[in-house]
Amino acid sequence: MKKKLKIDDNIFRLIIILVVFLLIAGITKGNSFLKVSIFQTMGRQMAEYGLMAVGCGICMISGGIDLSCVYVANLCGISAALLMQKNENAILPAILLAIVIGAACGAFNGFLISYLRIPPMLATLGSYQLFQGISVVISNGSTVSGAPEKYTDFGMKTVAGIPAAFLVFVLIIIIMSVVMGKTKFGARVFLVGTNAKCATFAGIKNKSIIIKTYMISGIVSGCAGLLSLARINSAKADFGTSYTMQCILIAVLGGVNPNGGFGTIPGIAIAVLILQVLSSYLNTFPDVSNYYRDCIWGIALIGVLILNHVINKKKSDKLAKMGS
Amino acid sequence: MENILSVKGIKKSFGGVHALKGVDLTIRKGETHCLAGENGCGKSTIIKVISGFYKPDGGTIEVDGRDYPVMTPADAIKAGVQVIYQDFSIFPNLTVIENLAFNQVLANGKKFVNKKEFRKIAEEAVAKINFNVDMDALVETLPVADKQLIAISRALLDNAKLIIMDEPTTALTKKEVKRLFEIIADLKKNGITILFVSHKLDEVFEISDSITILRSGENVISCPASEMTEEKFAYYMTGRHFDNQELADNKKRTYGEEVLSVENLSAPGFEDISFKLHKGEILGVTGQLGSGRTELSLSLFGLNRPTAGRIMVEGKEAKLTDVSKAEELGIALVPEDRLTEGLFLPQSIIKNITVTRFDALAGRLGFIREDSLVEESAKWVKELGVATKNHEFPVQTLSGGNQQKVVLAKWLANNPKILILNGPTVGVDIGAKYDIHKLLHKLAADGMAIIVVSDDTAEVIATCDSAIVMHDGRITGILEKEDLTEAKLAEAAI
Amino acid sequence: MKKQMNKVLRQTEFWVFLIIIFLALIIQARSGAFFANNNIVDIMRSMICPSLYAVCALLAFVSTGPDVSFPLVAALSSYLAITISIKINYDGPWFVVYLIGMFFGALMGALNGFIIVKYKFPSLIVTLGTSSLFSGILLGTFEAARMDLPATLQRFAELSLLTVKNEKTGLGSTLPMTFLILVAVYIAAYLVLNYTMVGRGVYAIGGDEISAERAGFNVKKIRFGIFVVNGMIASIAGLCYAVMSMRYLPNEYAGGEMVVIAAIILGGTRMTGGIGTLKGCILGTLLLTMVTNSLILVGISVYWQKVFIGAIIIIGTAIPAIQSIFGKNKGKKVKGGEAA
Repeated sequence: MKKKLKIDDNIFRLIIILVVFLLIAGITKGNSFLKVSIFQTMGRQMAEYGLMAVGCGICMISGGIDLSCVYVANLCGISAALLMQKNENAILPAILLAIVIGAACGAFNGFLISYLRIPPMLATLGSYQLFQGISVVISNGSTVSGAPEKYTDFGMKTVAGIPAAFLVFVLIIIIMSVVMGKTKFGARVFLVGTNAKCATFAGIKNKSIIIKTYMISGIVSGCAGLLSLARINSAKADFGTSYTMQCILIAVLGGVNPNGGFGTIPGIAIAVLILQVLSSYLNTFPDVSNYYRDCIWGIALIGVLILNHVINKKKSDKLAKMGS
Repeated sequence: MENILSVKGIKKSFGGVHALKGVDLTIRKGETHCLAGENGCGKSTIIKVISGFYKPDGGTIEVDGRDYPVMTPADAIKAGVQVIYQDFSIFPNLTVIENLAFNQVLANGKKFVNKKEFRKIAEEAVAKINFNVDMDALVETLPVADKQLIAISRALLDNAKLIIMDEPTTALTKKEVKRLFEIIADLKKNGITILFVSHKLDEVFEISDSITILRSGENVISCPASEMTEEKFAYYMTGRHFDNQELADNKKRTYGEEVLSVENLSAPGFEDISFKLHKGEILGVTGQLGSGRTELSLSLFGLNRPTAGRIMVEGKEAKLTDVSKAEELGIALVPEDRLTEGLFLPQSIIKNITVTRFDALAGRLGFIREDSLVEESAKWVKELGVATKNHEFPVQTLSGGNQQKVVLAKWLANNPKILILNGPTVGVDIGAKYDIHKLLHKLAADGMAIIVVSDDTAEVIATCDSAIVMHDGRITGILEKEDLTEAKLAEAAI
Repeated sequence: MKKQMNKVLRQTEFWVFLIIIFLALIIQARSGAFFANNNIVDIMRSMICPSLYAVCALLAFVSTGPDVSFPLVAALSSYLAITISIKINYDGPWFVVYLIGMFFGALMGALNGFIIVKYKFPSLIVTLGTSSLFSGILLGTFEAARMDLPATLQRFAELSLLTVKNEKTGLGSTLPMTFLILVAVYIAAYLVLNYTMVGRGVYAIGGDEISAERAGFNVKKIRFGIFVVNGMIASIAGLCYAVMSMRYLPNEYAGGEMVVIAAIILGGTRMTGGIGTLKGCILGTLLLTMVTNSLILVGISVYWQKVFIGAIIIIGTAIPAIQSIFGKNKGKKVKGGEAA
């Protein structure tokens, strides 16, 4: 009522961190970092794991977790690639197929969690093996490539200098922000994530909410798989396995509460940007191994947790004082 | 007679909030002393000070004639002070033996497990109160009353002189409460002093020799139980006078047409239940824990699927398969456990109130305007008098009574025809309880049909026009208007 | 007697045991090779590392929550132990290399423990973070690559406890000495968990942290200790893996955690803490190992391996859930009754 446009503290902090990183990168490595081509590469790369992080993030908001994002993406990529291998002109059907498979995988996860009441971590732990297994079986354990040029062109396409993949990412982020922030479905996801039992008593259809949430995660991951297929023109059952951890890291960094009920999509999006800037910056040092990224991410994850902890404690102390 | 415990001028504050502002508490040896007060009056803080878990900012503690400038938890146990917490401090995943023996073994500084010794300690413990239990059972498989007895017998092992029981009857059936009181009487005979923390009037009068009442961290009164009356008790707890006559007068109501008819309904937890409910009627459903009253309320709300019989809402048969069906038919339920079933504790007051209104407030594509949520919530906060400074605050920052008002607001916002309340005033202060009862009368006068499910017979008598009494899943009595008395309720409950 | 029977029937371990027997008989019927001596030894051999990891997973789950850092603790600590031994040209008894590894493992575990105890963060997230950190140190800072073992470990690796040869097929199999390490760790864990107050404390904390504190357990110390011990066990497992592969392979460690967690959950460990046994760890690991090892015996392509593991995890975890749904309906009380 008072302020129309509220930026919550967490997003504000994230933006500051992002700006600081950009400044450091610009000042210390201006020549090699501030290049259009670098930013284009960044845009393409982060679209893929950024989407999976959004998928995993909304599942965490709903009180669960989705460890299967990467494998859903691979399965979708492989399926689309196999279809396009057979028929050059089946680009649109292939895209649809990938999205349907993504939705089906997500619905399966949701079913395990809501109807069979398997804890989300275990359910997606089991299903990721299953999805990966199916990918191995349909691809005979090898890399699938040979998507038509018309399709792979999209991976390199730019619109006004901005990679198309990045635009897809931004579009999905906007859609998801609206879905989570402005619709009754989104509002319910937050409440189910806070207290599922209470949600039942308040007339929320938990099962349907959970299934839809994981379906969205599956679809978004499927899109990630399609983008990755377009970029590198190949898909494999065990591609990008380290992304699983990265997705959780991004979600937590972006302010998602690992216990559910809190988090924002813009927060996740900015966390994706931060990580990408950081890792591209590291790439400008030829001597520094790529693996240092893991190091920094691990430290960042725990550092952010501690920071949030300290800030929240101060806030709740203040609230307690005001309350009495 | 000498004092087992004497604390004077205890002060304690947390981050600038004064929880105790100089509290005195004197307990004579061998008596059963009741400590009463509303939520947040400082009862639990003073217990933690006495048992050594909190270091007071000022004041003196004297146990059994000895001064304790600094009291640690170990000191307290050595001095013979034992606390039985509401959660009983048990390990549900371990056996009865281990639950009983751990404290003793750890206190003796033993590093290794001697199974024979464990069993010996455990057997010695249960022998003290003649408690029969399967020693090798996992505690999570036992009923609540047995868990409490485990906590009591464990406390006795440490040569307890003073046992503090924090709201010990909350989760017990009438029968179990009776057994607990017998045990307390036995302990008293053996010279053990009991500090009984409770806010339930009838229990306080039945069990205690003397009473101390606290209000917002200060002493209000300490006196022998014989000098206390019901009106005084309520006044000392809240600082307000209540006009019970007004509530009683409200009961001269006339009903409208029938809105709900339950016919031979059976479901897990109860069998063959039939009754009718009219517009403007307040119907009580009472019975002990496990009588099926909660299950019945869940069935009427689509959370416990019936196996036989039918439910008619406004003359049409209703298939209540889930909560949203019940919601469509205008049925609302205020659940039994506010904290786990009624509220999204860390979420804002706004979200908690408007959760049932999402469908109504959303546009065609499911979009919701934030403003409309804020307006809706503000309306109900005002209507029910929820005391808060900011609607964006998490609901967990509110007191119990205000929290319950939020739960009520959530359902009233949906404008129900039938309102079911399960334990509407459990854990609610006397003041808020009075407000809630008044609100129910007002709602009934406006034509709402209300069902109050409660084991608090005083509450049923004060608010309901008629009542059904349940026992072991069946109806054992239906009491109409003037028949609704304490005596007849008790008679029907057996 | 009847009571005893009921107790056995209620244990998840018993049902897993039945499934194992059933599966073994099926595999035997289809291939005729399951009970062959070389296959049994193969399975025992494949179980060594996962079973050691299972102890880490068990301790963490029972007391606190999931620990997913053990594969990378194993990788980094065994890397350090092996590199140091090579650098100083160490050629004494083999177990000193293990001690060096355990020292580093303990340090890494202490980092986990410190963060989890001090800030009470979810252990899953913390150990994910430290895994990432350890992986960065291993592959970034040290640029770890394949390498040969120090001579003393090489000799240890060449020893074998048991060598069998299948008369029919001519296939042989050996059981390495590391199997004894596994047995030793399980015996030690069993004694500590069941016969010391600290061990009972592990279960007490998992049952109810506040009660444990009131009873006089040092919750923080025990929890911290668990993660330190986890680090040490992980480093033992890491070195065993290197010994059994005859060389150090830095990239082979990561990714094993999920299957191990699945194994102990199948073995009856409760995700919410407080319940879980070493017996269950062994049985759960055995079940998953049997499936992965026996697909070829039954004539199913290895490509299907993951599908089977996934299906077993899902079915295995769904059974208790389904049981509890039906169990609840049969019982007289429903949801609301428990709330009181």
